[in-house]
Amino acid sequence: MTETAIEVNNLSFRYGQTPILEQVNVAFPANSFSVLLGRNGSGKSTLFNIMAGLQKYQQGSVKLLGKERSKMSFPDCARVLGFLPQFHKSVFPFQVKDVVLTGRAAFSAFNPSKSDREKVGQAIEELGISHLADRPYTELSGGEQQLVMIARVLVQNPRIILLDEPTNHLDIYYQTYVLEKLKKLTENSLTVIAIMHDPNMAFLYADHCFFMKNQTVVTPTAEFDYHASTFLEYVYDVRFTTVMVNDKLLVVPVR
Amino acid sequence: MRKVLTGFLIYGLPIPLLLYSLTVGPSQGLVFADYWDWGRAALNGNIQESSTKVYVLNNIIENVRLPRVLLTFIIGAGLASSGGALQGIFRNPLVDPYVLGISSGSAFGAALAIAFPFFHINVMAFVLGVASVVMTYSFAFSNNKSSIVAVILSGMIVSGIFTASLTVVQYMSDPYKLQAIVQWTMGNLHHASWDKVNTAALPVGLGIVGMYLMRWRLNLLALGEQEAKAVGVNPTADKTILVGLATLTTSTSVAAAGVISMYGLFIPHLTRMMVGPDNRKAMPANIFFGGSFLVIIDNFSRSLMDFEIPIGIFTMLLGAPFFLFLMKKNKINWV
Repeated sequence: MTETAIEVNNLSFRYGQTPILEQVNVAFPANSFSVLLGRNGSGKSTLFNIMAGLQKYQQGSVKLLGKERSKMSFPDCARVLGFLPQFHKSVFPFQVKDVVLTGRAAFSAFNPSKSDREKVGQAIEELGISHLADRPYTELSGGEQQLVMIARVLVQNPRIILLDEPTNHLDIYYQTYVLEKLKKLTENSLTVIAIMHDPNMAFLYADHCFFMKNQTVVTPTAEFDYHASTFLEYVYDVRFTTVMVNDKLLVVPVR
Repeated sequence: MRKVLTGFLIYGLPIPLLLYSLTVGPSQGLVFADYWDWGRAALNGNIQESSTKVYVLNNIIENVRLPRVLLTFIIGAGLASSGGALQGIFRNPLVDPYVLGISSGSAFGAALAIAFPFFHINVMAFVLGVASVVMTYSFAFSNNKSSIVAVILSGMIVSGIFTASLTVVQYMSDPYKLQAIVQWTMGNLHHASWDKVNTAALPVGLGIVGMYLMRWRLNLLALGEQEAKAVGVNPTADKTILVGLATLTTSTSVAAAGVISMYGLFIPHLTRMMVGPDNRKAMPANIFFGGSFLVIIDNFSRSLMDFEIPIGIFTMLLGAPFFLFLMKKNKINWV
C-alpha cells in the first residue's frame, strides 16, 4: 500500500467571480517524486499555494499526512512541508550560507543555534554547493541560485517539498542536475512534488505525473489514452508524435 | 587587518569618542591642563572646593556638553538602526526612517505647536510622527494586504500632505515664529538638555534593544514575504513589530532634535560596506557606529565655525561626500 503525502478533496477556489480551481481531487503518494503538469493558467500555482498554506481556502479539504491543512499552525506546517516559490530575487548581497540559514527561522526565534548551522552545512553538502557558501547570493548564476533555494527548504527538515517550476530558466545541465538531486531526495523518505512545464523531463524523472486542465486535475481514461498521446494533446492543446526512448515515452510537437 | 579596523570603528570608538567630545566646544581659553584639573577634582569628588575655573568647566561639561553628546549618540544610534531595519523590511536600499512620513508629520506637529502654543513642541512632534505612520499604513492596506510599493507610495503621499500643511502654517506665521519653525526643521541639537536625554533615552533604548533582538529575523524578511512563508514563518507579525519599534525610535528622535535628513539612509549603507549585509552583524554596527558618527559630525558642527551649523544641514554636507567616496571605492553594484 502506498501512503499518501497530500490529499486534496473537492477543493474549489475563486478570485472574486473568476474560478481558479474547481472540484480538485488528487492524492500525491508519499516518498516519491510527483510532477504536476498543465498549461499556463490551468491552476497549478494556485493549487500549490493552497497546499503550501500561502493561500487560504474555503471549500474542500487539503490534508498533509492526514492532518487538515487549515487547522495547522505556521510552525507545525513548517515541520511537515517546505515550499519553493517561483520567483526569488534578493536585493541585498547576502552570503549563501546566511540565505540558507533563514530556512531555520520557523524553529529558532532570535538567533540560529549551532545545530542550525550544522544543518546548513549538511544541506549545501548534499546538493554539492559547499564551495559557494561564502559567495554573495546575488552574484550566482540562475542554476546555482536555484540550488541554494532548494538547500534553504531542506534545512527545515520537511517531510514534503513543493517546488514551483524548479527547472525554470535553467540550462539543460542544471535541469538534469536539479532533477537528479530531487529524485535522490525521495530515497531518504522525502516526498517531492514539483510543477514543471516540460513533459519529457517529467516523464524521464518523475515517479508519478499529474495533469491539470480547465481548473481541475484530470486523469487519463480509456477515452484519452496516456500512451497514445491523445491525453497529452487534450491537456496541452498541441498535437504530438510520440517517441519511445529506453521504454520511456517522450513526446514531440507536430509541425 | 581590515577586520580589526572595522571592529575598532564599531565597538572601540564610542567610549573614547564620547570622552573626547566633552572637550569640544566654543568655550575659548580652555587648555588641556584645565581638563586635567577637572578630571582630578571630579575623581576626588571635590569640585565644590576647587578653583572657579574648574567649577565653571564642571558646569559646562555636566549640564551642557554631556547631555548633548549623549543625546546625539542616542539619536544617531536610533536613526541608523531604524534605517537599517526599514531597508530590510521593505527590501529597498533607498528607504530611510522617514519613508513612512514621520519627518513631515513631526515637522508639521512642531510647526503647529510653535505657531499656536497650546501644546508642547516635542509632544506634538511625536504624536504627529506616529499619526503619519498610522495613516500611511491604513491607506496602504486593502483586503488585509499591503504591498511594499503601496506602503512606500502611501508614505510619499502622506509626507506630501503634511509638507503642504507645514507650508500653510509657515505662510500664516509671523516672522519670528517662522524662523523658529525653519530652525526646528533643520535639526537642533543645541537645545540638548538632561530633560531631553531623559525623555528620549527610554523609547529610543526600547526600540534599539527590540531591533537588536530581531536582527536575524530581519535577514529573513529581507528575502521577501513569499520566501518567509515558504519556510513556515508568517512575516506580518515580525514586520509589524519592527515597523512599530522603528516608528517609536524615529518619532522620539525627531521630537527631540528635529529632522536630521538622510542620516538613517546612508549609515546602514556604510555599515553594510564595513561588515556585509548580514543583519546579525550590521545591526550592532548601525547602533554603535551610527551613534559615534553623529557625535563626530556634531563635534565639527559646533567647533568648525564661530556659529553653529544646524546638524541636519551639516549631516548632509559632511556625510554625503564621505558616502559618495565610499560608494565609488567599494564599487557596489545594485541590481
